[in-house]
Amino acid sequence: MGQILSGYYVYMLSILVVYIALATILHAQFGLTGIANFGLSAIWGFGMYTSALLIVKLNFPFVPAVILATVLTGAVSMGIGRIILDLDSQSVLVGTLAFLAIIETLVISEKWLTNGVMGIGPVNYPFDIGTYSQFVYFLILLIFTMALMYYARKLESSPPGRLFLSIQDNEPLSQSLGKPTFRRKLFFFAFTSALAGFFGALAAPTYKFLFPKYMGPAITFTLWIALILGARKRIFGGLVGILATIGLFDVILESVVPIPSRYAGILYNSKYFLYGLTLILVLMFRPSGILGEKAKSLNIANTGKIHKMEG
Amino acid sequence: MSFAMFLKSTFVIGLLESAPLMLAAVGFTLIYRLNGFINIGYAENATLGAYLAVTLNAILGWNFYIAIIPAALFSGVLSVLTYLIVFRPAMKRGVGPTEMIILSVGVSFFLRYGISLIWGSRLYNFNLGKTDYLSLFGIGITNTQLICLGLALVVAFGLYAFIYKTKMGETMRALADNEELAMISGINPVKVSVVVWFLSGLAGGLAGVFTGVFTWVNTGLGWHMILVILLVAIIGRVGDVRGALIAGAGVGIITTAVTLVTQPAYGVVTLLVIFIVILKIRKVRA
Repeated sequence: MGQILSGYYVYMLSILVVYIALATILHAQFGLTGIANFGLSAIWGFGMYTSALLIVKLNFPFVPAVILATVLTGAVSMGIGRIILDLDSQSVLVGTLAFLAIIETLVISEKWLTNGVMGIGPVNYPFDIGTYSQFVYFLILLIFTMALMYYARKLESSPPGRLFLSIQDNEPLSQSLGKPTFRRKLFFFAFTSALAGFFGALAAPTYKFLFPKYMGPAITFTLWIALILGARKRIFGGLVGILATIGLFDVILESVVPIPSRYAGILYNSKYFLYGLTLILVLMFRPSGILGEKAKSLNIANTGKIHKMEG
Repeated sequence: MSFAMFLKSTFVIGLLESAPLMLAAVGFTLIYRLNGFINIGYAENATLGAYLAVTLNAILGWNFYIAIIPAALFSGVLSVLTYLIVFRPAMKRGVGPTEMIILSVGVSFFLRYGISLIWGSRLYNFNLGKTDYLSLFGIGITNTQLICLGLALVVAFGLYAFIYKTKMGETMRALADNEELAMISGINPVKVSVVVWFLSGLAGGLAGVFTGVFTWVNTGLGWHMILVILLVAIIGRVGDVRGALIAGAGVGIITTAVTLVTQPAYGVVTLLVIFIVILKIRKVRA
């Protein structure tokens, strides 16, 4: 039993669960609020590296390190958001992408702090119950991810959630109704980014040793592909998208089908080749994703009517 | 290093760094100007151009300067194909600007990993024959570097002249400014767009070849260029070919100056920070 509940499978499932959380955060930021955040993996990575540095370099206990990493990620995101969130969506996209490049470059270049591409660690599990540690930790990740999805679900039908949808539809209109759109968006961005940092800090013991590639642009793009594929406006869009991409390729294909190592490169390239193709096909033929548009609730249907009357 | 030497190095190395960049940024800008979206897939025009040229040159033994020509032309064709097969149908369906960028990321992944599947993941080097070492203001430079620098600048300024001085360029600008008005005046938007996408792809392909000459060719070649191309295009005001040329030169020189004083990573970081500040200042002024 202990054999099955530890090792590679649990590791892959843990990563999968964390990615689902990230894709759900992306859903909240882009699907709900329209913030085209192309720096999400760096924000996540910031939380991950901060907690690891606190633990490895300053001997922090795990829980305070996670809390501090979460708060710091939120603060940094607040700063970034202050600078770029009031720009148009293309500028937000390239601005966050530039932020990602800055963080990634610094993590690689500042070897005295992060050990560069050699990686930093080890970050151990906060408890040691023998072979079951990994599995119990996976359950903790699962619980937090489920809590996050519950929050995203509540958010959609809450007054702030509806405000965000209205901002996305027509920001000047919401502003003219006296809604503090920029401040709301900024706080929401900082809060959800802090959550990404929190999941980064939580993911650190799963990886044990951290490398810059864990936070690189490929991760951000994979998350985007997953969310668009799943359905950007649906709560389960991120979940479905991650299962259809990483779940299918990295977990099922790699663990069920025994692939000789000399073909590993081909598999890796085919994976991203197909991600690209799928993304093109989805955006061209089913832009709302696998899950499609949500059947609108009464409240949202009403706002829809008002928009139509104006149009 | 004396200050005079520092200035000279900055200028010469900066120019070498920025020539392919200026070329790539002009091509990138053409598409933005015409269709109004950021095409990340443009990166793969550079990668494919470099791969075709290096295959003809290093594997099939063609002369480098002859190998460039079909490589650049084919990059242009690839660019037209992405336009006709993916981007034009998507624009017709009314896909928004942010989704267009994500779509172009999809195109980029598709092409880049398609290239990886064909050529594998190893590095390729150009076979340039005999190398002569020359001196430009006391800075060492090879004959190939000098010729590539010249070619990149000639093509970049040639495109500039094309846009601003020819009838076709005028047609293109008219179409970019107001499609309906242009169509009423008898301009065929598909024909003009195909020409623009072809030229843009050609510039991207050549920029890829020149980057490959200065370093090596691998599948990440265009991908590593695209963020800087994006910065150059945005700093030079996206859509403005003149701005792309000036910003391209500026970016190369600033990065080189910071790199010479500190290390390459800080050159990149400085550039990115300047970029974010510029985005912000523009917004405040607007």
